[in-house]
Formats: sequence, C-alpha cells, structure tokens
Amino acid sequence: MTEQELLEAAAKAVVAADEDEAKAIATEAVKLGLDPLKVINEGFTPGMRDVGDLFERGTMFLPEVILASEAMVAAVAILEDSLPEDQKEKKAGTAVIGTIEGDVHDIGKGIVATLMRVYGFDVVDLGRDVPLDTFVEKVKETGAAIVGTSALMTTTMVGQKALEKMLKEAGIRDQVKTMVGGAVVTQYWADKIGADAYAENAQEAVQKALELVQG
Amino acid sequence: MTKYPTRMGDGHVIDMTADELKADLIAGSADAADRGRIPPLKDDEIDFLLDLFKSNARVVGVDQGNEVVLTHDIGTLRLDGDQGNSGVGIPLSRLQGVQVHERAFAADTMELGHVDYSWKPVKPIIAQEQQALENILLSTIVPMFYGAMPNLGTYYAPDGPFGNPSDLLPMGKIKEAREAQERAVEHATRDIVYICGKLAEVGADGVNFDTTGAAGDADFKASLQAIEQLKAKHPNLAIQVGMAGEFVLGIHGALEYDGTRLAGLYPHEQVGLVEKAGADIFGPVVNTNTSKSMAWNLARAVTFVKAVTAVANIPVHVNMGMGVGGSPVFETPPIDSVSRASVAMVQIARVDGL
Repeated sequence: MTEQELLEAAAKAVVAADEDEAKAIATEAVKLGLDPLKVINEGFTPGMRDVGDLFERGTMFLPEVILASEAMVAAVAILEDSLPEDQKEKKAGTAVIGTIEGDVHDIGKGIVATLMRVYGFDVVDLGRDVPLDTFVEKVKETGAAIVGTSALMTTTMVGQKALEKMLKEAGIRDQVKTMVGGAVVTQYWADKIGADAYAENAQEAVQKALELVQG
Repeated sequence: MTKYPTRMGDGHVIDMTADELKADLIAGSADAADRGRIPPLKDDEIDFLLDLFKSNARVVGVDQGNEVVLTHDIGTLRLDGDQGNSGVGIPLSRLQGVQVHERAFAADTMELGHVDYSWKPVKPIIAQEQQALENILLSTIVPMFYGAMPNLGTYYAPDGPFGNPSDLLPMGKIKEAREAQERAVEHATRDIVYICGKLAEVGADGVNFDTTGAAGDADFKASLQAIEQLKAKHPNLAIQVGMAGEFVLGIHGALEYDGTRLAGLYPHEQVGLVEKAGADIFGPVVNTNTSKSMAWNLARAVTFVKAVTAVANIPVHVNMGMGVGGSPVFETPPIDSVSRASVAMVQIARVDGL
C-alpha cells in the first residue's frame, strides 16, 4: 500500500465507521514509518470531515457519527503513541454546553456536543432546562474556553442575553467565549447581545468553536 | 432602485430590490431541490412568487375559486392558553373555544386538545377528555378532531421509564439508546391506540397526530404503527398527520416502516408511508431558516410541498404558522407574511388545505 492509498483508506474507514479497519490502517502506517501527524491530518481527519458533511446532508445519522468518531479516536490513539511527547495532539479545550432554563429541546444541542467531542473538545454537557447560574458555576469550575447555549423558543433566548450579563458580573466574561444557537437564534441576535459566535448548525458550531479557541 | 418591504426568517423587516428577491427565490428553491432531490420551481412560478413580494398589499389572497379548507392544530389552546409563546390568554373554556372558532371564525374543522398536548398524559385522564369531547360534539356541528403529539420524549428519562437517547448516545451507548427507543415505540403505539379508540367511542370525527417525528425516527415509527392499528379498528375515524420538521431525524437510524428506512426522509418521501399506514390527511412541514429572507424560505418551502402534492393520493394540508411553511419564527406570524405564504402554497404547491 502506497502512502496515498493508505491516506485514502484511512478516510474511508472513518466514513464506514469501521473501527477495526481504522486501527489496522493506523498500525500499518506506524509499521511503514509514515509520519503519524500526516496520517492523522491528511487521512483520518478528512474522513471525519466527510462524516460531518454526510450528517449535514442527512445521509448519515447520529449513531453512525458516534461510531465513526470512535473509529477515528481508536486509530489516532495508535498513531499518537508513536509521536514524541511534545507533538502529541492537544485537546481543543473545554466547552460547557446546555439548553437554557425553561427550554426542554435537547436534540440539536446534543448533536453539537457530540460533534465537538469528535473534534477534540472536552465537553461538559449540562443537558436541557439548565439554570443560568449553573452555566456560570460550571465555567468557573472547569475554566472552560467556551460556553455554548441553545434556545429553541423566543421565550428562552432572552436567557442567552442574561447569561452575558451574569458572566460579566462574575468577572469571567473575558476568560470565556460565548456561543449561541437554536432555531430562533440568528447572527443578528448574537451581535445584539454581545455573544462571540453564532452557528446555524452543528458542523458550523464546531468550525466556529475551533476558530474561537485557536484565536 | 425600488425596494420592497419584506422580512427575514426571524420576522424583522428588511427592504429588498426585485433582483435581490428573485435571487433569493431561486436560491431557496435550489436548496430544496438539492436536499430533496426534487425539481426546482419553474421560471413562471418564481415570477409568480416575485409578484407576491412586490405587491403593495399588506394582505393578499387566493383567486376566487381557489379557496381551501383549514384544519387546526392546538385547537382551542390558542385562545385560552398563554404559555408566553402561543395563545392569547382569554379565559374561555375549551367548549367556548370551539364555539368561537365555529361561529365567529367560521373554522372548517376544530380540534380539542389537552394543555400538555402530548398523547401520553391524556391516558390517565381519558375519561375526562371523553366527557369534554362529548359535550362539545353535542353543541357544535363543526367536524371535531382530538389532537396531541406522539412526543416520544415523554417516554424517556426524566419523564418516562426508558433511558434518554440524548444521554446515552454521547456516552457511546448506542445499543442501549436504540433499545430504549424501540421499547418507547411499542409503549407509545399502545397508548395512542388506546386513547384514540376511547375518543372514537364517544364520536370523535378524527384525530390529529401533531408534530410527528419530533423525537426522531422512533417518534415517526410509533405514529405510523398506531395509525395502522387504529385504522384497522376504527375505519371511519379520520386521521391527520402533521409533521414536526421537514426531515426525519435519525436518532435511532435503523428503524423501518414497510421496508423503508425512516431516518432522513423528506416530506415527499414521508407522505407515501403516511398513506400506507392509513392516514387521511398529511401535513408536511418545511422549517424556516431565521438567517435567510422570507423569499428564500418561501420558495424553498413551496418547492418541497409541491413535490408532496405531486405524489400524494390523500389531501395535503401544509403546516403554516410560526417558523414553518415559509412564515417567520414569530409568536404571532405577521399577516403580510402568512397571507403571502398561504397564497403561494395554494396556487403554486397546489395544497388541498392549510
């Protein structure tokens, strides 16, 4: 197998959510002496990107996305073992995420949390119907880089505005980036309340989150 | 260049030129065509929509002879309810609410619903709901539905006996999440058939499965199974199915009905299964994108719904209102938007009702 063939096979294994195949490819890459970072960045990561696209298009579903991410994580663990300590992939950061109090809509927020985990975030998913105080406390406790809130109703989106104020009052607004989402939320709303980012869907949420933590 | 007042999907007013409107109409239709693998709107249909947006009239209407019937979800709750995001909080009984709809609003059909609006909580109070429905039937002539949401979320923790897929999936417990959904499907099917059977016994004209598929493919499967069983037991009970969204979310991912995988189905693919199960009216939903203009959203919605009416053998009553059918996400959708969207649905998508 050439290097190019191996990179393509790595991507396919992730899309197929085939953990055994992904691990076998990673092991083969180590055996061939290939650059582990290149195999991660040009093989497995594009595969995960394809998974995100397929999910967004509605041809791949949440359980399959999770299986694909597990395949990737298992393969990357093998490749990382062969890397010097200073080159090992670092976590993207901690993200606290939840649905605003009064809102029990959970599915969209859950999908965002799952994809963020796939892309290397330590995600603290507070669930649905989360009091605003809890967001503030959890950001303090974890030193999170991002706090993401979801609102599906016009009656609960105002909680996102209140959270901005509460983070300021707690003296931690400058330490954390805020992201907002949910069916009723727009970029206009994000700008109006002073949130750092708005995302329309889960894939975009991950991209924006990565941009926020990478500066 | 002349600018025309219109709205964004979140309801705020913007001005757009005719060229901007047309570009958004074409783009919205193309998005639906791409996602649903269906034909985009034709040039003359885009031009029709453009004229609607360029009209100075605050309220527009269909041509005479093109009037359609209206069915109502949430029923009387829109009058007596005041949940902050729907309802106007007028202290009326449900009976009075139906009478107001029949006699003051000239509603074509009406619906009784419990304030929670999910099937599961109706089961322990079914006798009270039977009594309320019977009293209404005795003093009105409007066809009466009873409506509620399958809402499989009520069967998952913390509200129900089964594990919550939203908790289980992130932990990688895919098998457990799927089993929880499969068990919830069977319980919901049993509950819905029981409740609707009791309502049929006291003379309900029909039942409305509102917001079907809200909890994903399991939610849709429970509804289809329940409809099939209900129709076998009560062939004269009219069954309306209104969807929750344009797309069946694959929270389970592998559930099938009649050999068709449910996850990922768009409205024109949903209607065949709804028909096969035995429903009499289908209510497709197309969601509004709050970050896009109403022109983009309406062309997109009409494209999807036109594909439904092209294949449907049962009446299609498209869901119109807050955040669906091209209307903005707004507690009480503005009449300029709702009337334009309604005209487009009737005259381009050729729906049978709203």
